[in-house]
Amino acid sequence: MGYPHTPHDRETLVLSRHFGEAEARSLEGWKKRGGYSALEKALHMDPAEIVNIVKESGLRGRGGAGFPTGVKWSFMKLGDGKPHYLICNADESEPGTFKDREIMRWTPHALVEGCAIAAYAIGAETCYIYIRGEFTEPLLYMEQALTEAYAAGLLGTNAMGSGKTVNVYVHKGAGAYICGEETAMMNSLEGRRGNPRIKPPFPAVAGVFAQPTTINNVETLAAVPHILNHGAAWYQAFGRADNPKSKGTKLFSVCGNVQRPGVYEVAMGFPFKDFLYDLCGGPLPGRRFRAIIPGGISVPIQTVDEAEASIMDYEGFVEQGTMLGSGGVIVIDDAQNLVKQIARATRFFAHESCAQCTQCREGTGWTARILERIVAGEGTPEDLETLLDIGWNMTGTTICVLSDSCAVPVSSGIHKFRADFEALIKHKTVHVIPVVA
Amino acid sequence: MSIEEMGGMGAPADTSHAWHDESYAPVFVGARRTQLDALLTRYPTRMAALLPALWMVQEDRGWVSSEGIEEVATVLDLTPAYVKGVVTFYTMYHQHPVGRHFIQVCTTSPCAVCGAEAVRDAFLRHTGCEELGVTSPDGKYTVVEVECLGACGFATPVMINSDFLESVTPEKVPDILSGLK
Amino acid sequence: MDEKMVNLTIEGRTATVPEGTSILEAAKTVGILIPHYCYHPSLSIAGNCRMCQVQVEKQRKLMPACATAVADGQVVHVYAEDALRARQGVLEHLLINHPLDCPICDKSGECELQDYTYQEGRAEGRLREPKRFNPTEDFGGDVLYVTNRCILCTRCVRFMAEKAQDPVLNISERGDRAVIGKVPGHDLTDPWAGNVIYLCPVGALLSKDALNKVRSWEMDRTPSICPGCSQGCNIVLETRDNTVVRLQPRPNHDVNEFFMCDEGRLGYRWMNRQDRVEYPMVRRGDGLATAEWEAATAEAASLLSGRRAFVLASPNLSNEALFMLSRIAKKTGGAGAFRVRQGPEAPLPGAHDLALRVDRAANGDGAALMGLARDDAPLARMQDGDVLIVADEDLAGVDAADAARAGAIIVIGTTLPAWARHAAAVVLPITNFAEEEGTFTNLRGRVQRFRQAKSGPGFTRSSWLAAADLLTALGEPAEYLRAQDVFDALATANPEFAGMSYATLGLRGALVASAASAGAVA
Repeated sequence: MGYPHTPHDRETLVLSRHFGEAEARSLEGWKKRGGYSALEKALHMDPAEIVNIVKESGLRGRGGAGFPTGVKWSFMKLGDGKPHYLICNADESEPGTFKDREIMRWTPHALVEGCAIAAYAIGAETCYIYIRGEFTEPLLYMEQALTEAYAAGLLGTNAMGSGKTVNVYVHKGAGAYICGEETAMMNSLEGRRGNPRIKPPFPAVAGVFAQPTTINNVETLAAVPHILNHGAAWYQAFGRADNPKSKGTKLFSVCGNVQRPGVYEVAMGFPFKDFLYDLCGGPLPGRRFRAIIPGGISVPIQTVDEAEASIMDYEGFVEQGTMLGSGGVIVIDDAQNLVKQIARATRFFAHESCAQCTQCREGTGWTARILERIVAGEGTPEDLETLLDIGWNMTGTTICVLSDSCAVPVSSGIHKFRADFEALIKHKTVHVIPVVA
Repeated sequence: MSIEEMGGMGAPADTSHAWHDESYAPVFVGARRTQLDALLTRYPTRMAALLPALWMVQEDRGWVSSEGIEEVATVLDLTPAYVKGVVTFYTMYHQHPVGRHFIQVCTTSPCAVCGAEAVRDAFLRHTGCEELGVTSPDGKYTVVEVECLGACGFATPVMINSDFLESVTPEKVPDILSGLK
Repeated sequence: MDEKMVNLTIEGRTATVPEGTSILEAAKTVGILIPHYCYHPSLSIAGNCRMCQVQVEKQRKLMPACATAVADGQVVHVYAEDALRARQGVLEHLLINHPLDCPICDKSGECELQDYTYQEGRAEGRLREPKRFNPTEDFGGDVLYVTNRCILCTRCVRFMAEKAQDPVLNISERGDRAVIGKVPGHDLTDPWAGNVIYLCPVGALLSKDALNKVRSWEMDRTPSICPGCSQGCNIVLETRDNTVVRLQPRPNHDVNEFFMCDEGRLGYRWMNRQDRVEYPMVRRGDGLATAEWEAATAEAASLLSGRRAFVLASPNLSNEALFMLSRIAKKTGGAGAFRVRQGPEAPLPGAHDLALRVDRAANGDGAALMGLARDDAPLARMQDGDVLIVADEDLAGVDAADAARAGAIIVIGTTLPAWARHAAAVVLPITNFAEEEGTFTNLRGRVQRFRQAKSGPGFTRSSWLAAADLLTALGEPAEYLRAQDVFDALATANPEFAGMSYATLGLRGALVASAASAGAVA
């Protein structure tokens, strides 16, 4: 189901309020909707003040890691005499995730404004928006927005007449999931292979071009103008009263075997059960949910019971054995061969491994091959233990977490759906009811 | 389905193999050169313009040949081997000529659960390509699987050159193809 | 320099190392070699093989020892259960696509993949899938790339980028399809490219020159100095059945870091020459007749009686031999000269003061310190009627008429050039560089030892011994039993060598006095 997406009553529309309104894409349309008032305000504030407001708002990274944004910004030492850089991570590639795409498609100026504010707050004169190469449409809208913004004097060496320099450029990726990892993104931007870097040094010390750098997700940056306009307390008000750690609204992209896939915005702390059945319309006719992956394919698979007991915020998902991640909800129903889908997920990681670390380079491919063999009916009972052991070796032992991510669906799948694997190994085949078209 | 059938993960990568474009003409002259020079002002290093420069070569020449690699290397003060290493990292750069319509079908898990494999097979059948990565005899089509196009809610997304199609089903494939020039 | 020192505990042993040292290097100082592949002390940290993972107390995850700096009070467990399991996992992963063709692999026996697998690896692998296959590729120069054996540690890529600064290698492709790649027409022809063979921890990069020649365990290894130029790179001279089969660089931070150039590495065939002069000879009419050493030496001495000696010496002779020869010249009131073959200089840009030098001889500086004159017209200083002592010099390009000015010619050499058959009065056969021991002085004044790697043919004697015996026969007793004794005499006689002995030279050598004081000033 594409847009226009009719918002559900229980959604909290902040970032997605103007999704579907073609007019909001233009500078004029955006200004009509209050656009760039936050930037104007910000450029006359002390950068440290902006950082403090963002800190107080409780905004956390929306790309997957959930690191407090204001704290991240405060790592940038202002006045150190070095050029600072902001990179906006628009390399949205986590399977199941397509929320940033909607922000860029419908409200490109929201992102430009967020980038400009953040750049100013961390003392950066240059911001690169790294957009994955496949996003041709978002890329087009972002470039149009930037052209308009420069022409109107909102950006450049005298941004909004403030005398401050804020440059925002689009940088187009070329097909590599791993470039969404922040250090890989810095390498890619520098014109290298997108290999993640060893930390330390951390980006805030030596990031892109060896200079202090902050990398923020699209959704994170798009939230910043709202926080500046309405204040930290306003943003703090979204979320469970008893959980001070997860605040604000969050975009969830829903896909897979569900009635109404799409992008939904809810306040943190929303019950996942209601979300799945009420907002997304529940399973397809005659089907039942079988497994849910709530935060992009890198987070552990949930059983339906776990999902239905989950609260949609960072801590709520952890309590139910998984993570909020990027908010990419993948729904798998009882018509699917779960093992085959897990195998498919590992093939994704095998395809995307950058080839640096041994366990990841070899382990992702090996895992995929074993699973393919099991799916083909050639599995042996020892395979599951081997898979778990490979998974152990791939977890926490490499430069970045891609190999961990590959192990996640396998290990969580075997732990939670072991019977599916065993049945496939024993009976050599699996009987699933074909998907009704 | 075996890994090989799913796209040939184990296929040998023969890097000694040079893909030459005998009729290659330099890209970075005239307006393109001006465009690249303007781009270079955005970055503190010349190397940072490598991905954009490779995009320009691909846009103008359809793919990134050995000659294209040599030219980019010369223009950006890099070595051809370095550029080749970067080109082979990113899947969107074509290392050999492709059909006039380069069709990428997303078959990653979220789309796979929605029947993306049937969409892929429909493209293979209706284009006459039969095999992934192989250009159809008339030189019109190349069909490949692509990993997550980032439009999972609109399964199955398909990219044809730079056009992004959503919610493609096997039934829509013949119409899509007949709409291509 | 006041470096801050850090104390830490590694496997119960206390290490004290400068701040910023990696755990891996710190462990070496207490005798623990943490297994590793991608790490090499001369290259940037890649941290990609993940083999050097160790447990560090208070750290949640295992830490890569190569990329983790030491901290005060750190407690490191190299052989903790998890660390061993993780390294075992890395080894298994490295082997799943490795062909396990050790029986036909040149690296077998000196392969780090083999070594660590025997040390820590699983007894058997669990792979049931077919292995990946890639064709072997000729990388140009002396290098062959056996793709299937590669573990992608990237040492070669980093060497070419950082040290040779000629980035002709890359990592191509991604995931388990990745290989070391290059571009056609851009080969490994850099003068230093062959070091990638030595740096490769497995059998992926092989020397075409050494291919299938010898198994590593059949070789004898002798520490030596490359005789190819005046840089004096430290090497290991490898022999089998009294034949030199391979040269490898030997680390010495003061001279060549870990490297040697291809010209030096491949320039060993002359050491195995078969057309050697194997017995002393004296002139009898038109021909040369074999003689006992004592008789030949006596005849040489008698030729010199009342005449000046003019020594034309090879700059590839040892300090010891040159010292003895210079004393013969001095004893007879004569003089000496040498000339040096030259070639283009080829620096290794990423290393400090390391190059294939213009002077393609190991000991020109030593010869000069012995008082021999460097002269491209080598006989210019010879007076008519002098006895010309040609010490391992082929006289190539020397005008016959010029040589004929000599009263007599004594050849002290490893081979017998054609002209010597009718011109030499006495021939004293000596061993070559690989067959004797001695020292060279490099262009920076560093005196370094080389050892005997194989035995000389027939009745050959060490060059210094042949010269010393002649000196004795001239009435100046020089009854040295060992090369070491000659060197001790040199140290006493020549202030540049004052205080040196074979013991103090050790494996790294020492600077002559003038070079040491120049260095101290700088």
